Amino acid sequence: MTREDAPSFHFGRRAKLTYVVMLVPALLLLFASLYPFLQGILTALTNRKLYLPDAKFIGLGNFEALANTAVFWTALSNTLIYTALVVIIQIPLGLGIALLLDVPTRLRGFFRTTVVLPLLVPPVVAGLMWKTMMQPQSGVLNWLLQSVGLPPFSWLTDPATAMISVVLIDTWVFTPFAVIILLAGLQSVPTDIEEAARVDGANAWQVFRLIRLPWLLPYIVLVALFRVADSLKALEIIYATTRGGPLNATRTLHIMAYEEAYRWSSLGKAMAIVFVLWVICYLISGLLLGFWHKQEKARHAA
Amino acid sequence: MRLERALPRLGRSALLAVAYAALAFFVLFPIVWILMMSFKDFGDIIAYPPRFLFTPTLANFEEILLGSAAEQAAGETPEFLHNLLNSIIISGGAVIVSALIGVPAAFALARGVLRGSVHIRFTFLSFRFAPELAIILPLFVIYKQVGLYDSYVGMILVNQLITLPLVILITTGFFREIPIEIEEAAVLDGAGIWMTLTKVLVPIVMPGIASAMIIAFIFSWNNLVFGLVLAGGETRPVTVGILQAMTFDQIKWGLMAAAAMVAAVPGMIAAVWFQKQIIRGLTLGAVK
Repeated sequence: MTREDAPSFHFGRRAKLTYVVMLVPALLLLFASLYPFLQGILTALTNRKLYLPDAKFIGLGNFEALANTAVFWTALSNTLIYTALVVIIQIPLGLGIALLLDVPTRLRGFFRTTVVLPLLVPPVVAGLMWKTMMQPQSGVLNWLLQSVGLPPFSWLTDPATAMISVVLIDTWVFTPFAVIILLAGLQSVPTDIEEAARVDGANAWQVFRLIRLPWLLPYIVLVALFRVADSLKALEIIYATTRGGPLNATRTLHIMAYEEAYRWSSLGKAMAIVFVLWVICYLISGLLLGFWHKQEKARHAA
Repeated sequence: MRLERALPRLGRSALLAVAYAALAFFVLFPIVWILMMSFKDFGDIIAYPPRFLFTPTLANFEEILLGSAAEQAAGETPEFLHNLLNSIIISGGAVIVSALIGVPAAFALARGVLRGSVHIRFTFLSFRFAPELAIILPLFVIYKQVGLYDSYVGMILVNQLITLPLVILITTGFFREIPIEIEEAAVLDGAGIWMTLTKVLVPIVMPGIASAMIIAFIFSWNNLVFGLVLAGGETRPVTVGILQAMTFDQIKWGLMAAAAMVAAVPGMIAAVWFQKQIIRGLTLGAVK
């Protein structure tokens, strides 16, 4: 946003210099992190071990080795499955909760406070909390299932159910983010349009589908952007619960990179994995960001 | 006739009640359950079926905050308390540095008089979308070389990756909401840009800056990866400490529960006390 109506003192050469001075420390600090980042890309082209400074340039050797490793492809598909599940579950759920909290009732204030809580709990702590509850033998979740007549679930201990279990924990922690953003979106829906539609005889569903949903679209894209980017690099909840197991069922690229560096001390290979992940993150979030930008522009033009 | 109209309304409120109950259960049950566990002794924890009624004990909190019997006898600081202090120093330090650097930067961006301000803002945002290890793993090697590994300075510096973009993005949103006439008035009175910023604008946006700092503090406090890779025994933060305690001793659920509750305290307090500002800050940081 540029301010064309800004008074002239904002454009004086000295003033401009002041603004630059104000920005420089922050830019320096953030761009300093480009140095390790570039160093990392170079490291991906070597056989560098974590604690041995001597390394040989091996070109794309690490990437070739990865392409021939079955676990790498498993981790890649796990990463994408995790992200897809997160988006498919959390956006509709978040939208539902936001709509619920938008209904004026006496309990609304209390619930708006409550619903934020999980987002502010450290994800590692959330992971440990749920891991405790998900114990197959003595955990409270299986007890709850059985007390309503359902069979027990194997949660994190079975390769078939581990992925959906970590996604459930992720959903507990991060759905509030979707709720907050979508609620802000709902509150910005112009009421006069909604009123006009109601006067014209539109029912609740039509008002939702024809007015609220299109208005919310940029907000939904924004939630998708943040949730996709965070899920692609999912690490903390998985690290606190399964560490990629059982049988690689929850091994994502980020987890695999960490293990490669600290368990097998192959820093070069770890950086190659991270680089692949970075490219995926960059492309997908760039795509969503562009989509969001277009929608915002369209709205402001309208 | 009246019944016909009342029935759907009754159905609607029943549906709302069920939805609210389900939501409350999903959100609160894990927290309440672990909170209860933190006050249970070993027998009550491993009991099956799970016990909802029990005689509470403070033993778990005593052990993590005051030390085990052995630690107390040896006069050692309990490891968890040490981790807790580290987290306070690191996240507190990181947020102060970010505020000092980020607030002027946010002001400059909010005024948008520099070419490419939008791009600069997106650059700040894009740091959030990169996988942490892309920067942290090479940084581990660099920190080892220059002696910043396992140091408060090193940890505060690396936490800028979380706190600085948050402070800048959120505060920019708050600065934008100030009408430019206020600045014009200050300038007409002969104040320079710095003077206008520090004496006039910062006091106005102080609540915004405070909520940005609280949010940044919580997300820095909650982070695991930085501490996992870049901190050793001296500066290990609470998120790493709690995980290590768990790995070494799988059975001590009570201690884990107590530690989890203590580690979640900053977020909980913020959620309850500063709820409005936090939601506003989070929204501004993401949306604008």
